[in-house]
Amino acid sequence: MTPDGQTDRGLKTAPSAHMSLTGITKRYGGVTALENVNFSCDLGSIHAVLGENGAGKSTLIKIMSGVVTPDEGRMMLDGREVTFSGPSAANDAGIVCIFQELSLMPDLSVADNIMIADPPRRFGLIDKRAQKRRAEELLARIGCEDVNPLNRVRDLPLSRRQMVEIAKALAKDPTVLILDEATSALTSSDVDRVFEILRKLRDDGISILSISHRMHEIEAVADMCSVFRNGHNVETFRQGTRSAEEIVQMMIGREISAHFPPKPDKDLATQGAAPPVLQVRNFAWENVLQGIDLSVRKGEIVGLGGLDGQGQKELLLGLFGVLKSTSGTIEINGKPVSIRSPIDAKRAGVDIALVPEDRKTEGLMLPMSISDNLSIASLSRMSNGIMLDQNALESSVAEAVRRMQIKIGNKSDAVSTLSGGNQQKVVIAKWLMTDPKIILLNDPTRGIDVGTKQEIYLLLRELAKEGAAIVLYSTDYEELIGCCDRVAVMYDGQIVRELAGSEITERNIISSALNIEEAAQ
Amino acid sequence: MTTTDTMPKAKSRLWTPENKPVVIASGCIVVILAIGTAYTLATQGTATLLSPGYMLQQLQVGSFLGIVAAGMMLVILLGHIDLSVPWTVAASAMMATAFGGAAALPVGLSVGLAVGLVNGLGVAYLRIPSMIFTLGVNAVMRGLMVAYTGGFAPQTAATPLMQYLAVGKILGIPVALFVWAAVSVLVVFILRKTPVGRYIFAIGNRESAAYLAGAPTRWVIVFAFGLCGMMAGLSGTLLAGYSTKAYQGMGDAYLLPAIAAVVIGGTHILGGRGRYLGTLVGVILIVLLNSVLSIMQMPEAGRQVIYGSVIILMLLFYDRGRQERQ
Repeated sequence: MTPDGQTDRGLKTAPSAHMSLTGITKRYGGVTALENVNFSCDLGSIHAVLGENGAGKSTLIKIMSGVVTPDEGRMMLDGREVTFSGPSAANDAGIVCIFQELSLMPDLSVADNIMIADPPRRFGLIDKRAQKRRAEELLARIGCEDVNPLNRVRDLPLSRRQMVEIAKALAKDPTVLILDEATSALTSSDVDRVFEILRKLRDDGISILSISHRMHEIEAVADMCSVFRNGHNVETFRQGTRSAEEIVQMMIGREISAHFPPKPDKDLATQGAAPPVLQVRNFAWENVLQGIDLSVRKGEIVGLGGLDGQGQKELLLGLFGVLKSTSGTIEINGKPVSIRSPIDAKRAGVDIALVPEDRKTEGLMLPMSISDNLSIASLSRMSNGIMLDQNALESSVAEAVRRMQIKIGNKSDAVSTLSGGNQQKVVIAKWLMTDPKIILLNDPTRGIDVGTKQEIYLLLRELAKEGAAIVLYSTDYEELIGCCDRVAVMYDGQIVRELAGSEITERNIISSALNIEEAAQ
Repeated sequence: MTTTDTMPKAKSRLWTPENKPVVIASGCIVVILAIGTAYTLATQGTATLLSPGYMLQQLQVGSFLGIVAAGMMLVILLGHIDLSVPWTVAASAMMATAFGGAAALPVGLSVGLAVGLVNGLGVAYLRIPSMIFTLGVNAVMRGLMVAYTGGFAPQTAATPLMQYLAVGKILGIPVALFVWAAVSVLVVFILRKTPVGRYIFAIGNRESAAYLAGAPTRWVIVFAFGLCGMMAGLSGTLLAGYSTKAYQGMGDAYLLPAIAAVVIGGTHILGGRGRYLGTLVGVILIVLLNSVLSIMQMPEAGRQVIYGSVIILMLLFYDRGRQERQ
């Protein structure tokens, strides 16, 4: 190293600390999101950031990528102090973020999307040819030569879109690449591919910061880990020096005894005499669902398994009356019912609730208050036909907050101020306020921290004990195994196998999901 | 001591993001009054603008706009818009005077309600964007009225009841103001006290989430458009009473000011956010601005430029505030 560090700016400060944050504090109103946080990431390493929702990870990357400015503290990049006036300033400094939600425009071409921030120009007009060439280079860099840059993004499968998203980030020539749960929508083979790309980029000298809830992915790819809890950086350590249990322990800060609440004894499963609450016969919708037969008894949690996109989501929406022109019969407590809208599904005597897939667009009105979001499904119960009963409303909202242990400041705050886990609790609580007898859940724990997942598992079992019939679709096999009394595995719009009791194993679920037995017959 | 303690508190309570548009618009009203009064003092030596009689007269004129804006606000809160207001106003006025007698007022309201329901059904069930559908309905209503009247002002006159509601006075206060007040109470009641009000905000924020929560979204959309149409009908009927007859194009001057009043009052043009108090202040601002400009004998062209600039400037202020908050 030369004395003045002229030749190697990156090595001027601590050994290869590429970007470092010192004493960062950020408050939102009365909530402290980050408190006196020190954090640094090194050149050419993959650094995983872990923590429950609300631990401050999102705020951390928002500060690093210039989306929000910290209240206190300093940021150093290549040994120089930096402040960002906005995301584009951070981009210019080489910090690029890939956010959780895809940011691609579906009706523009792949090349248009990749180069959207700064398209190559000729005489002031966009040079389409240069743009295509550049897009091809970038796609090749991440091993996606097969994607045609002139295709519309809308026509690409989800996994390919994620690759395009990475190419788009690379178009900005990052030295720090931040991924915010970029793999949460991908299947495991696609995830492996993304990891390969990340390792390659790391070897090219890019610092990579990755936020993820999936422990095995972190084990697979990270070099360094930092665990956040309640706005503090609890510990930064080299990956592999702590066991998974220790990491989980750091994240939740309390002992967790069992991952899943105990299932009731077998007698319930063998209690075939008990008539089902929900009985679906020969249910079908367009080409997506075919001949679905499903019954759910009182007190039972039935899982829907299988690969993503085999009709599980549509089945739940169909039962909830969202899909038009479904065929087949639905019986509730032995009586056939017609469910043609969520209003029908909610009606007394049907009493179905649905926790939808995407809490931000389907589950919540984000800018509205916590109280408004909680009460929206049960307003008709809390009015005399014309006027709302404010007292009943307030007390049931308070009851819901208490029962679900939702961490809130004030119930008139916008629901968007809550962490992801607490937002999901609001979605579930909203439906519990309608006293549902049948609860449909579409991947309720996606993108949620370990602690809240635990609470949701406990809650589901508790609701089942109180007599609800529950249908749970999950992309997480462990969850199906741990939570469900029975699992119906779907493949290509049909239920190919029903597993019960000890049959519910990862091996059985996966082989049914791939429809292996079916092929053998 | 006490003042330093309470002042910032009072200020921060007043200066919430929710209140900001109302505070700014109110400040604007004061400025407009000050400029207008300075002008009249300088030229005529009187403070005409500040006399109660003048104020009441302005509010009376403003009540027609206020009633239209009240209905428009419900539709804008949903994230929609009603561009059929001009010919809903005219059609209601023409039908009301044509029927005459005791039927005049009910007929005027019914015509408005019917147009509003057609708008609502088109938007809620046919899923046609409200901007297109209501524009089409406006053209259709115009065509129907031109066909009906042959393109001339109808010869029929407003009934005494219509005239009383528009220009009559109770204890020196114009009756039109009481009508406006009643409409305001109704809208505030709907927005704050009823499930429908909550649904309106919910739909404006995220229709898919409201639908999946089992909210009767279509019904609420039809309801809001129906009420908006009925308000336009009421306003048209009163307006015919005010000018003793109906005429072509009588509603043309109400569409943009109504939308402007709602938006100046802080209601988000894409729906989901807003307070009725803001709309009220917005209406008063627009009416006073118009009246001060006409007192100053500003030519029509200059009036339009100032009028438009004020609206744009105020909205600029609001948006700056939104960015700061994020």
